[in-house]
Amino acid sequence: MEHTQNKSSAFSQGVVIFVYLAVLTALEFAIAVAFDAVPLLVVVAIAKAALVAYYYMHIYKLNQEDADLDHHSYSYKTNTNRFGLWLFLLSDTFVFAGLMVMRLNLLGLSRPGQLNQYLGLGVTAVLLVSSFFMNRGEIAMSFGDTKKFMNNTLITFILGLGFLIGVVFVEWRLAAAEGLTAGFGSPATGPTGAVFYMMTGMHAFHVLTGLIFLGIVWNNARKGVYTAEKHWGVEASTVYWHFVDLVWIFFYPALYLIGTAVK
Amino acid sequence: MKNIKPFWRGILFLVVFGAVGYGLGLGLDFLMVKSLRFSGPVPSVFALLFAFTAFFLGVFGFRGITRGLVWQVLGTLVGGLLVAGIRAIMGLPAFGDFFFTEPSWVFGALTGAISFLFGVGVLDDWMKWTRGIDTPDEHEEHYHGWEKYFAVSLDHKVIGVQYTVTALLLISIGGLFALIFRSELAESQLQFLTTNLNLFSQNGPQLYNSLMSLHGMIMIVSILLGTAGFINYVVPLLLGAQDMAFPRLNAFSYWVSVPAAVLLLMSLFLGGFDTGWTGYPPLSARAPVGMQMFFLGVFVAGWSSILGSLNVLVTVVRMRAKGMTAWRLPILVWAAVATGLIALTATQLIGLSFQLVMFQRLFGMGFFDPAKGGNPVLFQHLFWFYSHPAVYVFVLPGLGVISELLPVFVRKPLFGYKWIAMSSLGIALVGFVVWAHHMFTSGMNEYLRIPFMYSTLLVAIPTGVKFFSWVATMWKGKISTPTPMLFVLGGIVVFLMGGLSGPPNAIVSTDLQLHDTYFIVGHFHDTIFGGFVFPFFAAIYYWFPKATGRRMNETLGKIHFWLMTPAFFVMTFGMMYVGLLGMRRRIVDYDPALHLDATHFVVTIAAFLIALSVLIFFFNFFNSIKNGEKAEGNVWNSRSPEWQVPSPMPVHNYEKPLEVVGEPYGYGSGDDGYIKFVEPAVNAHK
Repeated sequence: MEHTQNKSSAFSQGVVIFVYLAVLTALEFAIAVAFDAVPLLVVVAIAKAALVAYYYMHIYKLNQEDADLDHHSYSYKTNTNRFGLWLFLLSDTFVFAGLMVMRLNLLGLSRPGQLNQYLGLGVTAVLLVSSFFMNRGEIAMSFGDTKKFMNNTLITFILGLGFLIGVVFVEWRLAAAEGLTAGFGSPATGPTGAVFYMMTGMHAFHVLTGLIFLGIVWNNARKGVYTAEKHWGVEASTVYWHFVDLVWIFFYPALYLIGTAVK
Repeated sequence: MKNIKPFWRGILFLVVFGAVGYGLGLGLDFLMVKSLRFSGPVPSVFALLFAFTAFFLGVFGFRGITRGLVWQVLGTLVGGLLVAGIRAIMGLPAFGDFFFTEPSWVFGALTGAISFLFGVGVLDDWMKWTRGIDTPDEHEEHYHGWEKYFAVSLDHKVIGVQYTVTALLLISIGGLFALIFRSELAESQLQFLTTNLNLFSQNGPQLYNSLMSLHGMIMIVSILLGTAGFINYVVPLLLGAQDMAFPRLNAFSYWVSVPAAVLLLMSLFLGGFDTGWTGYPPLSARAPVGMQMFFLGVFVAGWSSILGSLNVLVTVVRMRAKGMTAWRLPILVWAAVATGLIALTATQLIGLSFQLVMFQRLFGMGFFDPAKGGNPVLFQHLFWFYSHPAVYVFVLPGLGVISELLPVFVRKPLFGYKWIAMSSLGIALVGFVVWAHHMFTSGMNEYLRIPFMYSTLLVAIPTGVKFFSWVATMWKGKISTPTPMLFVLGGIVVFLMGGLSGPPNAIVSTDLQLHDTYFIVGHFHDTIFGGFVFPFFAAIYYWFPKATGRRMNETLGKIHFWLMTPAFFVMTFGMMYVGLLGMRRRIVDYDPALHLDATHFVVTIAAFLIALSVLIFFFNFFNSIKNGEKAEGNVWNSRSPEWQVPSPMPVHNYEKPLEVVGEPYGYGSGDDGYIKFVEPAVNAHK
C-alpha cells in the first residue's frame, strides 16, 4: 500500500471531510426550509458526492500506476479488481438514476408530505457518521491495525443497522400511519407512496447487502486474513459502503427536501 | 445402461421422467381443482422441468448442470411453498389456478434461480472467500473431453463454447416458435391456432401471442449469449491473455443465463402472455402469471449481460499483451468494448422497468397505472433506454467480426482502421440518445420527436463509415470465398438492406404510417440477420478449427449459405411488402380482402427454408466435431495471434508471452507480422 501521508494526518483528513459533509448537510436542510431552491440543493448534493467519492472512496486510485507489472502480483490484481468494482458501481448508478427519473416524472417538484423531517435528517446523519467510521477503519487497516479496523467496522455496522431500522421499521410505519401507502389494492393514493417505498426500498436493499459485506469482512479480519499490504476485501467493502452513502446523498433531498420551503 | 451412448441415455431419461413429471403435475392439479386438465399448465410445467433435468441426468449424471437444475426445481418448490404458507397464515388463498399463486411463483422462481447457482457450484469459490479461505489462481479442470462443458469451468474457452451452444439451442427453440406461428399466418383466417384449441390454459390466438412474444425475447437472449460466446472465446486470445480478468465472474455470467432460459420457457406454460417482447403496461400489468416469469427471466439474463460485459471491459484494459496499444488492438476488441459500455450501463434500465411492473402487479404500486396517478409512457422511456441501445449490443460484435475477417480473406489491410474503431464507439454513444424514436406514436410530448429523429439519423454516419471501409478493403483485393467469407459478404449485403430500410422508420412523417406494421418486422430481421446471424455463422465457421482442431465441411457450409441467403431475402422483402400494404405486426389473423395471402404463403415457405438450412448447419457442426477434416495449423493464413499456435488451443492459451511488433492487418505489407512470441527470462514468474 502506498502512503503519501502519515497515519495521524490520514485520520485527521477523515475528520475534516466529515465536518465539511456535516456542514453541507446542515446547509442543505436550511436551504430546503428557507428557500425553494432546487438548483441549490443539486449543487450541494454534487459537492457532497464529490467529497465522498474523492476522499472516502479514493476514486483517484483508478489512475494509479502499477507498482508491479506482473499480472499475477497482488498489487496488479488489486488495481484490476478496483477497476471492476468501479464499473459495477457505474452500472448500479444507472438503477438509481432510473429511479430518480421515475420520481421526477411522477411527482415533479412536489414531495411526499407525510414524511417525518426530523427522522429523515436523523437517519441521514446516522449514515454519514457510519461513513466516517468506515473511513477510519480502512485507514487503520492500511497501516496494519486489525484491532482498530474491527472496532471501527463494528461501529459502522451498528450505525448502518440503525439506518436500516430507522427507514424500514420506523419511517415506513410512520409514513403508512400518516396515510402514505404503496398500494396493495387500496384506493388510489397517487403514485407518491409507490415512489417513496420503491426508492427507499431499493436503497435499503443495498444497505442490507453492504451490511452483509461488512460482516463478512469483519469476520475475516478476526481470522487475520488482512494485512497492511493485502486487504482488497476491506477496500472493496469500504468503497461499496461509501457508495451506498453517496446514493443517499441524492435520495435524501429528492424525497425529503425538494418542495419543503415555507411559502 | 452403461452400454448406451450418453446422448441416447439422456433422451431415454427425458421421455421417462417427462412422463413421471406430467403424471405428478396432473395429480397435484387434480387435488387442487378436482378435475383432470390434461393440457393444463401444471402438468406441462412439471413435465418440462422433469424432462429437461432428466436429459442432463442421463447424459452427465448427478453433477454439474444436472445438480443445478434439480436444485432449481427444489428451490422453486420450497420458495413457492414458503410464500403459500405465509399466505395461509395471513388468511389469503394459498394456492391458485396455476397450483401456486402469483407471489408464490415469483418468489419461488427467484429462489429457484439462486438455488441453481449454488447447485451447479459456480458460487463455491466465492463462498470460500467469504470464510477467508483462499483459492488457487491457476484453476484445474475437474472434467475432461466433452464432460467439461456440462459443469462449471473457469476457462474462458470452455465458457465461450458453453455460451455458443446455449445460444444455438435457444435459437432453435425461438425459431421453432416462429415456424409454428408463421404457419398460422400462411393463410388468412384461423387454421390450427383456433379458439377451440386449449393448451396450457390458452386458446389458439392466445397461444399465438405467447409464441410470438417468446420468439422475440428468446431470440434476444440467444443473441446476447451468442455474442458473449464468440467474445468470450476470442477476445482474450486476441489480447494475448491467459484468461479473462475475472474467471469466476465469467463462469457466473454464463451459468446465471441457464436458469434465466428456464424461466423464460416456463412463462409459456404458466398461461403465457400477450404483450409482445416489449411487455408494455397496462397490458402487461394484467396478463397471466407467465408475464412474471418472462420479466424475471429477462431480469436474470440481464445480470449475465451486465457482468459479462464488465469482465470484457476490465480484460481489455488490464490484460493486453505488451505493445498492444489502443491503435493496434484487433478491431473486434474495439467492437467488444463499445458493446460492453452499452450492456454494462443501459441493461439496468430494462431490469428496473420490468421490476417496476412486477411490483405493480404484486403490491399494487401504481407506477404505470393512470388510475393511481402513474404514467404508462414512463415505462416506455425506461424500457427503450436499454432496448434501443440493445440492438447495437446485438450488431456491434457482428460488425466487428466482419471487419476482423474481411482483411484475412482479401489479403489487404483493413481500410481506415481508426475510423472503424471510432465508428463502433460512435454508434454506441449516439445509441444512448435515440430511444424515443420507438415512441413517435406513443403520445409523448410532440416536440421530442424532432431531436430524436435527427439523433437517429445520425447513427447512419458511423454505420456508413463501416460500409465505406468494407468496400474499400475489398477494392482490388485477392478475394477468396470459403464459407466464413461467404457469410461475411452475406452479412454486409443483408445489413445494408437493414440500414436502408431504417430511415423511413426514423423519420417522423413516414414512421407514423409504418409504426406497428410488418415493415418494421422486415427491417428488424434484416438488421439482426446482417448484424448478428450472418457474422455469427461466419465466426463459427472461422474459429471452429481453433476450438476443435477440425474444419467444418465446406460443401455443407456452402449449401447452408446458398439456401439461407435467398430464402432470407424473400422472407424479409415479403414482410416489408405486406407491411406497406397494411399488414399489422403481432396479430394472429388478417383480412382476406387485403389480398396478402399469396405473399404470406411465400414468406412462410422461405422461413421453413431458412430452418432447413440451419438444420444442415447443425448436422455439419456436430458431425465435424468428430469427423471433420483435421486442421491444426493456420488454416486461414491469418496474422492474428490465436492462429500462430496449434489448434485446438492449449488450456492456458499461450505457452510464451507475446508482444505486438506490427500492424494487426498489415496483409501484403511484407513485414514481420503482427506479433512475436517472447522467450521468457529464466526466473520469470510462471
